[in-house]
Amino acid sequence: MRTLDGKPDIDDTDHYRRRGIWSLAWEISQERKREFWLGYAMFILFFAAPAAVGWFVGQAFDALTDNDTSRLYWMAGFMWLAEVFRLAVLQVGAVAFTKSWTLMSSLMQGNMLAAQVASGGPEAGQPVGSAGAAVTHFRDDPHDVAIFVDSWLDVSGAIVYTTIALSIMATIDLPATLVVLVPMVAVALVTMVLDTRIKQYRRADRQATAEVTGLLGDILSAATTVKVNNATDSSLARLKELVDERRRTAVKDRLLNEGLYEFSNGTADIGLGLVLMVGAGAIVAGSFTPGELVLFAAYLVWLGFLPRMIGRTIARHKQAMVAFDGMRRLVAGHSAARVARQRHLPIGLDRPTPARLDAERIPLQELTVESLTARYPTPSGNGHGDDQGADGRAGIRDISFRMARGSITVVTGPVGAGKSTLLRAILGLAWQAEVTGTVRWNGEVIEDRAAFLVPPQAAFLSQVPQLLSDSVADNIRLGGTAQDDDVARALRLAAVETDIAEMPDRAETMIGPRGLRLSGGQRQRVAAARALVQNPELLVMDDLSSALDVETEIELWTNLAAEGVTVLAVSHRRVALERADQVLTLDRGRLV
Amino acid sequence: MSSASDPWRALIDLVRPNRGRYLLLALAVTLRSLLPLVGPLLVGRAVDLALEGAPASDIVQLGLALIAVAVVGQVTAVAASGYATVLAWRTANQLRLDMTDHVLGLDHEFHRTHTPGELIQRIDGDVTSVSDFLGQVVAAFGGAALTIAGTLVILAAFDWRLGAGLGLFVLACVIVMVWMRRQAVGEAEDTMSARARLYGGIEERLTAAEDLRSSGAGAHAMARFVDDATFNYDTRLIEEKAFLRLWWGLQGSVVTGAALALILGGWLVSADAITLGTAFVLFQYTQQIRSPLEAIIDRFELIQKASGAMVRVAKLRAVRPTIIDAAGTDRATSPPPGPLAVDFDHVDFDYGDDDPVLIDVDLHLAAGRSLGVVGRTGSGKSTLSRVILRLVEASSGTVSLGAVPIGDIPMGELRRRVALIPQEVQLVHGSIRDNVTMFNPAPTDDEVEAAIRRVGLGHLADAGIHQTLGAAGSGLSAGEAQLLAMARVWLRRPDLVVLDEATARIDPETEQRLEAAMVELLAGRTAVVIAHRLSTLRDMDEIVVMDYGRIVEHGDRHDLEADTTGRYRRLLDLALEDVEEMAAPADVAETGNQRR
Repeated sequence: MRTLDGKPDIDDTDHYRRRGIWSLAWEISQERKREFWLGYAMFILFFAAPAAVGWFVGQAFDALTDNDTSRLYWMAGFMWLAEVFRLAVLQVGAVAFTKSWTLMSSLMQGNMLAAQVASGGPEAGQPVGSAGAAVTHFRDDPHDVAIFVDSWLDVSGAIVYTTIALSIMATIDLPATLVVLVPMVAVALVTMVLDTRIKQYRRADRQATAEVTGLLGDILSAATTVKVNNATDSSLARLKELVDERRRTAVKDRLLNEGLYEFSNGTADIGLGLVLMVGAGAIVAGSFTPGELVLFAAYLVWLGFLPRMIGRTIARHKQAMVAFDGMRRLVAGHSAARVARQRHLPIGLDRPTPARLDAERIPLQELTVESLTARYPTPSGNGHGDDQGADGRAGIRDISFRMARGSITVVTGPVGAGKSTLLRAILGLAWQAEVTGTVRWNGEVIEDRAAFLVPPQAAFLSQVPQLLSDSVADNIRLGGTAQDDDVARALRLAAVETDIAEMPDRAETMIGPRGLRLSGGQRQRVAAARALVQNPELLVMDDLSSALDVETEIELWTNLAAEGVTVLAVSHRRVALERADQVLTLDRGRLV
Repeated sequence: MSSASDPWRALIDLVRPNRGRYLLLALAVTLRSLLPLVGPLLVGRAVDLALEGAPASDIVQLGLALIAVAVVGQVTAVAASGYATVLAWRTANQLRLDMTDHVLGLDHEFHRTHTPGELIQRIDGDVTSVSDFLGQVVAAFGGAALTIAGTLVILAAFDWRLGAGLGLFVLACVIVMVWMRRQAVGEAEDTMSARARLYGGIEERLTAAEDLRSSGAGAHAMARFVDDATFNYDTRLIEEKAFLRLWWGLQGSVVTGAALALILGGWLVSADAITLGTAFVLFQYTQQIRSPLEAIIDRFELIQKASGAMVRVAKLRAVRPTIIDAAGTDRATSPPPGPLAVDFDHVDFDYGDDDPVLIDVDLHLAAGRSLGVVGRTGSGKSTLSRVILRLVEASSGTVSLGAVPIGDIPMGELRRRVALIPQEVQLVHGSIRDNVTMFNPAPTDDEVEAAIRRVGLGHLADAGIHQTLGAAGSGLSAGEAQLLAMARVWLRRPDLVVLDEATARIDPETEQRLEAAMVELLAGRTAVVIAHRLSTLRDMDEIVVMDYGRIVEHGDRHDLEADTTGRYRRLLDLALEDVEEMAAPADVAETGNQRR
């Protein structure tokens, strides 16, 4: 089975033995206690209310048998009041629990997102490959956990109701009450038998759904590529295969769930049939009155609810396990506990989100790279640094060099030489690779490079930088404290000042989803401004200039040199190489 | 409401091809809906028998009959819901494919302004709502209507007043529901756009995750997430409260109806018009009406979602491409076979914002010739390539390929004969083969492998072309991705090739190794090559220099190189100065200079 990170599926049932789904879901439910417990109490009252309603109805029919119409009207009135009470508690409970539900989902989403955007430290999770496929884990998985928690309310309410109802019924006719338990036990047993199936089907369905959204995401991101390659029909044919597969898995999944539901739903009538058979003697003798039969009929309607909800809870428990299994891949150490960790996000509150806190600046004197090696996993499993990984990524082997403050180091070499890997390995961003070797900052070893090498110490500009649907200025600040002057200066250094000045709202211009309203070159230079805005001690650039014309690129390098920025850059261009204090040529992962 | 009627018509269009299957479903649903009406009749009969002093065996038989009806009811119900699900998925999958096809046919500009995440939410999320609607709601609604009709008929058979009373009551409930339903569609749309914003935002942040990590911007990304989640939270609460209003309306009526049924039954029993058993049936039916009506309410959320979803689906389907395919019209004309000549006749272009990107571009490129295009970022070079591929359409003037106006060439033929290798290569989640053929099953594995080797990606071919490329192409560097895009075109044998900065991310050394392959790729074809790196253009026949949307220089490459006052020559000199300064280090000599 393929997984998001391309690693083999880790089956750690042990993991859940240590920390069960119940305890994980419990921690999530307690993120905002007040809403949860208010909803919980109200739903118990809501589910217990039919016990009162049924009792009044039974009394009404007894009054009718006795031809006591005034008592009948009173009982009808009480029944009505009990029902209105039921509606009122639902009003309060539903609002409280909607809050609780939404907050639970946001908590899980927040935990996953935080792991995906953390610069380093214990929280950072393995990056996902395809954002499109990962969205499933944000959309569907939290829903499955929340609905599992939701079923606790149903089960608790059903237990209260069932206890009251069975007690009243037992005082009326014990044998008839006992016989009612038969279909209830049957529902529970059938659920147990179908238990494992539910999980399998659920997993298959999830997988199929992820495949569909993944392909859809790819096709839609690459819409122009699909068009110009005349590949619309063949892409749709592939999509059709995947959606057909998903239909099959979804039907199995749904059929099993619906089958369970219908089976338990029909047990009320089976129970009543059994009551008639067992209680026939008492009914004919008059000791089991019509009013009491009506009460049995009324109670039986809701008696199926408990075994059904137990069954559903078990099914949802399985689904929640599948969900945690998907979600934990996005967080640090693939640990489900991190998905459930309380975070107290100020959602729906007037409290500000914790602001960005940058580390203290430690002026760079010298950066030292020692024996840095990065190996990607190979098909046979035994990684060799000079080989390419299973998916074609280039590793690096035993790279050492130094660079001094204010110097420019340019890395060059053919395609697949490992240039990008070198930059990422230094920065602690080569997640898929096994990295060894050290990097020193002023002679001191950097322990957590991903966490340390961020602004103001270092900034990174990748080959295809990504922007967000925000204004130009917000894309550059990214929540930092940079003032308008700083942004303007960064725009000037990045040689994008004139482009921005021509835009309708200048630096406040919204640049559209992923910054697509900008041209490729503008995106790259805005990203360069983003890297420069905090005056990083070290600027790391991965072939930034490939989207720039010669004149613009000369301008950019001139600016960088004038500012005395310490630069480590991949480039093939003369304009970069001529300014380099040091040129590192890589070939097949080694320095030559 | 016209906005609501259009999506429903679209839905009917979807269902029509499966008419027979939906009829079979209707039959199963009918059986499933009427069977529950039998139970109360049997119990009511038991009450009457008990009061009449009948033998216990009669009551035991009624009990047995009740169990038998219940079991048949369950089996029918499972069969019906299973079948409904199958049908719903068939229909919805067709809709997904149609919508993907439709969206892919939309303009370049549309894709520039809509995130893939948002479109996934439309094509997958919204269509799932529609699918849920077809699979669960339609059956529930039809079944509920049947149950209610059956109830009324049976009660009327006992006493017309019972039928009439319950009929009036149901009518009141339906009026309340329809009225409230009208209010709900707008709110559902709000909820869905809140979710689209939430998930679109998450997708965008995941896509930009590496940038956010290396910028130390985790806290910023989380703050934006909290904004989106708060918007979603507020919208969900509004939606829940709207739903609760609806629920109060229905439940209040049903509860009141049940109390009234008790009183009406009591009154008729004491007047000796009906038996106690019939009073029980009346009360039980009033209660049972609650469950079909509740079933509707339970699924009301789905209806709300589905109506909102259908409105958005219809909106998306109503977006028309401005670029119309000539195929099948009188205009449709095929250019002559072989390399295509390219003609621009006074072409202007802007993206609809009065900010011209191309101004009076007049250009003739003979069939089989190659043209290099240079100019600053933003000078309109990429737009030029988009116009040739008809991804955008000239605001005025005419573009012709092989002397046929581009608008008259059937789109399928245009796409087959013109190929683009772009700067930013999009890869898909799949095998290497899938990425080269774009899922086309026609090329053989050998052909695919040969193409990959020809562009210098031999190591990928060695790994096996059925090997999965890292998710979203993470396994390839940007330069390798450009080579792969070249292999795509290699397989297709087009008549006109447009390279838009196609080698910008490939180092000059590799580019030089590719030279033979490039010459072979361009031989016998017309070529338009856009490049910043002038060395890329050293084999071109002609050169165009663009500036601020205009062609400022056009001529034979040799002539322009010789013209010491020309713009092209000035660019060459700029690059050449570099060469002279940098001649020393031998290991970096292979860089962006002009070498002849």
